[in-house]
Amino acid sequence: MPRLERLSEVNRQTLTSFPCLERDTAPWQPMQQDLAQSRLALVTSAGLHLRGDRPFISNPKGGDTSYRVIPATAKAAEITQSHASIGFDRTAIYQDINVSLPIDRMQELAARGVIGSVAPNFYSFMGALRNPRGIVEETGPEVARRLKHEGVDAVFLTPT
Amino acid sequence: MVCVLANVFEEAGLCTVTIAMVREHAERVKPARALFVPFPFGLALGKPNDAALQHRIMAAALDLLQKPIGPVLEDFPEDEAPPTLLQASALPKRDDVKETDAADELTALRAYYERWVKDHRGRTAVGLCGIPQRRWRGLIRFLQAYARGEEADMKERPSDVSLEQFIRYGADDLKAFYYEARMAQRPSTPSEELHTWFWGETAVGQLLPEVGRRMAASEDPAAKAVAFGIAR
Repeated sequence: MPRLERLSEVNRQTLTSFPCLERDTAPWQPMQQDLAQSRLALVTSAGLHLRGDRPFISNPKGGDTSYRVIPATAKAAEITQSHASIGFDRTAIYQDINVSLPIDRMQELAARGVIGSVAPNFYSFMGALRNPRGIVEETGPEVARRLKHEGVDAVFLTPT
Repeated sequence: MVCVLANVFEEAGLCTVTIAMVREHAERVKPARALFVPFPFGLALGKPNDAALQHRIMAAALDLLQKPIGPVLEDFPEDEAPPTLLQASALPKRDDVKETDAADELTALRAYYERWVKDHRGRTAVGLCGIPQRRWRGLIRFLQAYARGEEADMKERPSDVSLEQFIRYGADDLKAFYYEARMAQRPSTPSEELHTWFWGETAVGQLLPEVGRRMAASEDPAAKAVAFGIAR
């Protein structure tokens, strides 16, 4: 994000008072092996999904906490965005999906041997939720189970 | 949001690394490993079509996976003056742009839009509302009627999509069509100029804030929730 001091007062206030799930300690899962032996998945909150999949909605009750599956083999032309917010510059993702979901960069990292392999599926949520409870209690753990079932060692998370 | 997800995943036994765009939120939510990037919203990986920069950001983030203890929050060292995301309210309202111009304007942009799609191997952000583009003059007339406060609807609206969501998807499609057409017409235009053109000079850029105003004034929370994503 632009640093807070660079934003308008209204934007700064909105972000400063945005509800966060604040915590004192962080859960920590240590890496068990080198990156070059690890399987990585992308998970994003950019509201992306396959063209033809159900778009995300603007939910008055704190946001849409559902998720969509994007096969790692999906081409940029097969993925679209239905994020409910217009508080970000869409001209970037119109030009290049990698700016939010680095699908091509991941394949390049695997081809170069920097990472062991790319997971079969990526997952997408909608960001800017005022109430992420559904994600913490339901859809987040569900996606975690799917990622583990797909042999994922580490997850690279990208916001909008 | 991604910071919250990171904590959910770590608790489930997955290693995570997160790109953080609001440093202050990452400090509070404390995801296991986060790389703060000082770029504007919409530019998590720095810049479109700059694979080298995107790789530098990914490398800096992936390095954090090797840290022995955490939580870790590091700053990506490169910085740039962000482009300004201009919204409709930042530009003067153009009363001289007539309603009837919108459909003709759309038709005039079509060749540029088609060039964009061809040049990007079929990739387009258009395609949420489900209305075929040959029916978009009808979509514009529907939005104009809605903005005037009439009881408007389109028979093609899918039955499982509410009127308000349908309008949002239509508005997103129109924006994507206009911006992509303009980027094909004038390649390398800075985003600030694209926003100034769309909200300041086009008939659709005048229509969407009117649609948003009707939604924002609605008693229905479902309509209000959508309004903020149409224009502001």
